[in-house]
Amino acid sequence: MFHWLEKHPFFFAVGVFLVISFAGLIEILPSFAQASRPVIGTAPYSTLELAGRHVYIKNSCNACHSQLVRPFKSETDRYGHYSLSGEYAYDRPFLWGSKRTGPDLMRVGNYRTTDWHENHMKDPASVVPGSIMPAYRWMFTKKADIDTAFAEQLTVANYFSVPYNQPVPMKDGSTAVVKLGNSVAEANTIALEEAKVIAADMKDQDVKDAVARGEIPEIVALIAYLNSLK
Amino acid sequence: MENRPLEYDYTIAKMFMFTTIVLGIVGMLIGVILAFQLAFPGVNLILGEGLAEYTNFSRLRPLHTDAVIFGFTLSGVFATWYYVGQRVLKVSMAESKLLMVLGKAHFWLYLVVVASVVVSLLAGVTTSKEYAEFEWPIDIAVVVVWVIFGMSIFGLIGIRREKSLYISVWYYIATFLGIAMLYLFNNMEIPTMFATSAAGESGIGSWYHSVSMYSGTNDALVQWWYGHNAVAFGFTVPIVAMIYYFLPKESGQAIYSYKLSLLSFWGLMFVYLWAGGHHLLYSTVPDWMQTMGSIFSIILILPSWGSAINMLLTMKGEWQQVAASPLIKFMILASTFYMFSTLEGPIQAIKSVNAIAHFTDWIVGHVHDGVLGWVGFMIMASLYHMAPRVFKREIYSKSLMATQFWIQTLGVVLYFTSMWIAGITQGMMWRAHDEFGNLAYSFIDTVTVLHPYYAIRGVGGLLYLVGFLMFAYNIYKTMSAREVENHELQNASPMGA
Amino acid sequence: MNKLYLGGIIFTALMLILTYLSVGGSKGGLNDDIVNMLAITGAVALVIITVFVVIKYVRQMQIDSATGELVDENWDGIGEYKNSVPTGWAVMFLLTMVWGMWYWTIGYPVNAYSQIGEYNEDVTVHNAKFEAQYKDITGDRLVEMGESLFLAECKVCHGINADGIDGKAANLNKRIDAASVKHVLEKGSNNKLMGMETPMPDRSGLFNANTGALITDAEIDTVSAYVANGMSGEGADIFAGACSMCHGADGKGMEFVAPNIAAYTPALVSTVLTHGKKGSIGVMPKFERLNDKQKEAVGAYITNISK
Ligand code: HEC
Ligand code: HEC
Ligand code: HEC
Ligand code: HEM
Ligand code: HEM
Ligand SMILES: [Ca+2]
Ligand SMILES: [Ca+2]
Ligand SMILES: [Cu+2]
Repeated sequence: MFHWLEKHPFFFAVGVFLVISFAGLIEILPSFAQASRPVIGTAPYSTLELAGRHVYIKNSCNACHSQLVRPFKSETDRYGHYSLSGEYAYDRPFLWGSKRTGPDLMRVGNYRTTDWHENHMKDPASVVPGSIMPAYRWMFTKKADIDTAFAEQLTVANYFSVPYNQPVPMKDGSTAVVKLGNSVAEANTIALEEAKVIAADMKDQDVKDAVARGEIPEIVALIAYLNSLK
Repeated sequence: MENRPLEYDYTIAKMFMFTTIVLGIVGMLIGVILAFQLAFPGVNLILGEGLAEYTNFSRLRPLHTDAVIFGFTLSGVFATWYYVGQRVLKVSMAESKLLMVLGKAHFWLYLVVVASVVVSLLAGVTTSKEYAEFEWPIDIAVVVVWVIFGMSIFGLIGIRREKSLYISVWYYIATFLGIAMLYLFNNMEIPTMFATSAAGESGIGSWYHSVSMYSGTNDALVQWWYGHNAVAFGFTVPIVAMIYYFLPKESGQAIYSYKLSLLSFWGLMFVYLWAGGHHLLYSTVPDWMQTMGSIFSIILILPSWGSAINMLLTMKGEWQQVAASPLIKFMILASTFYMFSTLEGPIQAIKSVNAIAHFTDWIVGHVHDGVLGWVGFMIMASLYHMAPRVFKREIYSKSLMATQFWIQTLGVVLYFTSMWIAGITQGMMWRAHDEFGNLAYSFIDTVTVLHPYYAIRGVGGLLYLVGFLMFAYNIYKTMSAREVENHELQNASPMGA
Repeated sequence: MNKLYLGGIIFTALMLILTYLSVGGSKGGLNDDIVNMLAITGAVALVIITVFVVIKYVRQMQIDSATGELVDENWDGIGEYKNSVPTGWAVMFLLTMVWGMWYWTIGYPVNAYSQIGEYNEDVTVHNAKFEAQYKDITGDRLVEMGESLFLAECKVCHGINADGIDGKAANLNKRIDAASVKHVLEKGSNNKLMGMETPMPDRSGLFNANTGALITDAEIDTVSAYVANGMSGEGADIFAGACSMCHGADGKGMEFVAPNIAAYTPALVSTVLTHGKKGSIGVMPKFERLNDKQKEAVGAYITNISK
């Protein structure tokens, strides 16, 4: 049979294709049937957080940082509760990473703070002597892309029914509503409100001034995102 | 016609040889920079504070992986295909105008894609998925290039004189099909600019932005089904195609066993695809899928080793050739490293070993004994074999080649041993508890211990790069020398024993 | 013996020694951790197997010779032998396939493994072991435990010497600095330092009984320096007049009323770790993942170094 296949390239190719597609059919498809449902306490990203997530991706922080706490005592001691599938329901793309040159960030919002991130992103080695993380100073002047974040929110709300403007259950039994603007202008206003809260905890005068002027530097969005990782 | 020796047309092969070398230099140079950035973070500012955004580790890392995978390796695959394909199918590209046009379109479009990838990654336009960073406009261009490549393959096969397909061709076909399937599924994404009409506005935000069709755990599953098999169909299958042609051709030996080739090929095709789960051990994907990944990884040793053993046995009784020819040394060491990394991978795929290995430099070590020792060596050996034949000139310097071999071997050994030790050390330190049962180390302690290993890796990588530059120089001198060969050499290379 | 094998043995011995040295030398160590041991075993097996299998084939290159019947075809001068597959390889392939099927259909289901189940067991065992061990420790041992915790958890912000890294977090070698006191006096404080909401008023609520008026700028500066100085120097009178009714004459605080601002106590540190704290320097996160004993231990450590 194989000898025959080797003389008939078309059937050879079909044979190869069947053999290699088999695994995908059996391993990948079934899991889509039970698409991951958000666990209680997982809310969609706000506009500012999503813009921060884009800053994170743009700078490939995932090259050094994972966002996946494995169920080992040593990891839950260091990072907090192990990851649950439903916690990633709104993550498009997922950001688990594959290398921990730096620590996991899955729950970094629990044990690092705005002012610490500010110092750290400006000059990591000044806070953590011996750190090999690059400094990200340009984030203090470049502006975050709120429009694109808003476009993404609209997309996921339309196509994947991500519950914006709807109550989502929180761990303490309450509900939270993540606001989605009706227009670009409104989205920018919502993001700016959030940015003001972050900037209030920051020290950098240029950043504070920028936010006061109605601009949102990348660092503010990034910190909003990092703080949301819980 | 049948009695006249065929004049093969190597125009396209030469073009891709050129990009193999150029993108190899670029990709590896960035690799060396990355390595030194981890050892000495000051290197992040290599072009000054003002350009730090573009020269820091995280911006450059995807550029390294994509330059070496989609630049260096794929160019090597294309270059060898346009050389090997004609010869084992006994048909010249020159016989078909259409194939020549396709070949050229393939090359130039590929260059356009490479250029747009470089620009977009430097600008930070990425989807973050490893080895699938490109945004949708580039994805579309990639698909076009790939379709042309497929037309090229099947076009040539369609007009072949040799009825039965040689082993290498099996592997090239599989490369084409595998990547096509994987790439399409992993890149399902919705451009956000199409979804904004609901707000009564059009074209909000950047036009090239997209959002993945899959979320969270599902996204991870598709990504690593892709990622693992991108390794399979990028770093394994086409490289096996190369060794099945260039080793017997260079040495003049016949393949040890057709049956072994057969079982290894179909075994590899079937088993490889199941193993992707080993990238997601202890994650939130269901236990059974992880287990599947581990089981198939172990089984995968055998079809992988099958090809390597077949190659080693092809050299049975031919030690004098190995000793005399640096080119054959490259290929023998390549199959050794292939065996090494295909045993290492399965060991790392065992769940409890992965508990240590995952997220550490041990994985980076595994990656590079494969890519430097196997992929890199095989591509360079292939080009060394092709150069005298496509340029019709002797290889410029055999001794340079021998020196290069030893320098690069030392480089690889330094690279993977240092990453081994670094990875295992770090993995153990993360797990360590003190006498009170509290974590023994803060994260930064597990970073600073790695400094010496990072420095050694940097030196190893630098040696490898220096070797690669020697290779580039050797090829350059070969092609620019005075033409000496007026006829095709049948078997051994000009400098062979 | 052939010198290749000798070379192989020397090489693997070298690898073994290297591994031993690097692992033995690393403070992580094997630690009786089965996972560590498996990883090392895997690494060592990998080298040994590859080296010796390759040597086996290299020997064949040296002494054997190629034989066999060729297939009819020939591609660009390349022939193929019809040799059968190497037995060892074929047997191993079969065995792994059989093993794979067995494991998939019987081994794995019967084992009923769950990674979360395994985790829960690990945690139970771990906690039982260590809680028994440190349940009753006190004094220097407690401080030692606290130091170890501090170095693992807190030094990223407070620095290895707990000095706050140039004002980036609180300097824990002394109770409080003047700027922080001043900030509290001007803005008040509401950090649940007493374990519950007990806000400290801002300057509009701070009467100096000596003057019968609201506290003044000058007084704030003076008393801040006084507190930061460890309750000494100028300003004792202002403190007595404006603060002592809550914080006590010596600044050591009063239960349910106001915290100790003269010195750290393990209880104060525990409270900060439970609720977090926001002040002039920045925000101190809460540390829910530490248990009570661990909080007490860092508390003891900080109390000790700030004496
Ligand atoms: C070269 C690798 C590297 C890159 C790239 C990198 N980091 Fe880090 N990161 C580290 C290392 C190493 C540490 C641990 C030492 C330290 O805290 O500085 C760290 C620590 C951190 C921490 C503190 C986490 C904790 O638990 O202490 C945060 C937050 C962080 N990084 C965020 C980022 C963000 C955001 C980016 C991208 C914009 C980024 N990092 C890029 C290496 C990196
Ligand atoms: C009405 C009672 C009251 C008075 C009067 C008062 N305090 Fe306080 N003080 C408190 C309470 C309650 C807290 C704890 C607030 C909290 O939980 O954040 C506190 C907190 C503080 C802190 C912060 C400790 C820390 O670690 O952050 C300082 C410093 C302080 N007081 C200084 C003073 C000084 C100096 C005066 C006099 C000028 C004064 N207080 C007067 C009740 C008082
Ligand atoms: C993310 C950074 C961060 C980490 C991690 C951190 N701290 Fe803090 N801590 C701070 C900052 C900032 C302050 C100062 C808050 C202020 O008063 O402005 C502080 C204040 C404190 C205080 C109060 C000091 C005072 O005088 O009131 C104590 C006690 C303390 N930290 C103990 C710890 C301990 C123990 C740990 C580890 C288990 C720890 N901290 C980890 C940032 C941190
Ligand atoms: C039998 C064959 C192989 C198996 C079973 C295997 C298994 C593995 C495993 C378990 C990982 C680590 C996943 C993790 O924990 O993060 C891995 C990573 C990797 N391997 Fe292999 N491997 C094999 C062969 C190869 C070869 C031959 C190469 C290259 C030439 C290669 C390239 C890579 C790369 C690039 C990664 C890194 C993926 C990432 O970015 O995380 N592997 N492999
Ligand atoms: C000059 C030689 C090279 C050096 C110094 C080098 C260095 C590096 C460094 C420093 C990293 C990042 C590791 C980390 O994040 O910790 C890396 C990643 C990687 N390199 Fe190289 N590299 C070299 C050549 C190559 C070649 C030739 C290839 C492929 C053909 C390659 C493929 C990869 C891949 C796939 C990764 C990602 C690994 C992962 O994510 O696990 N490298 N390299
Ligand atoms: Ca990776
Ligand atoms: Ca894409
Ligand atoms: Cu893999």
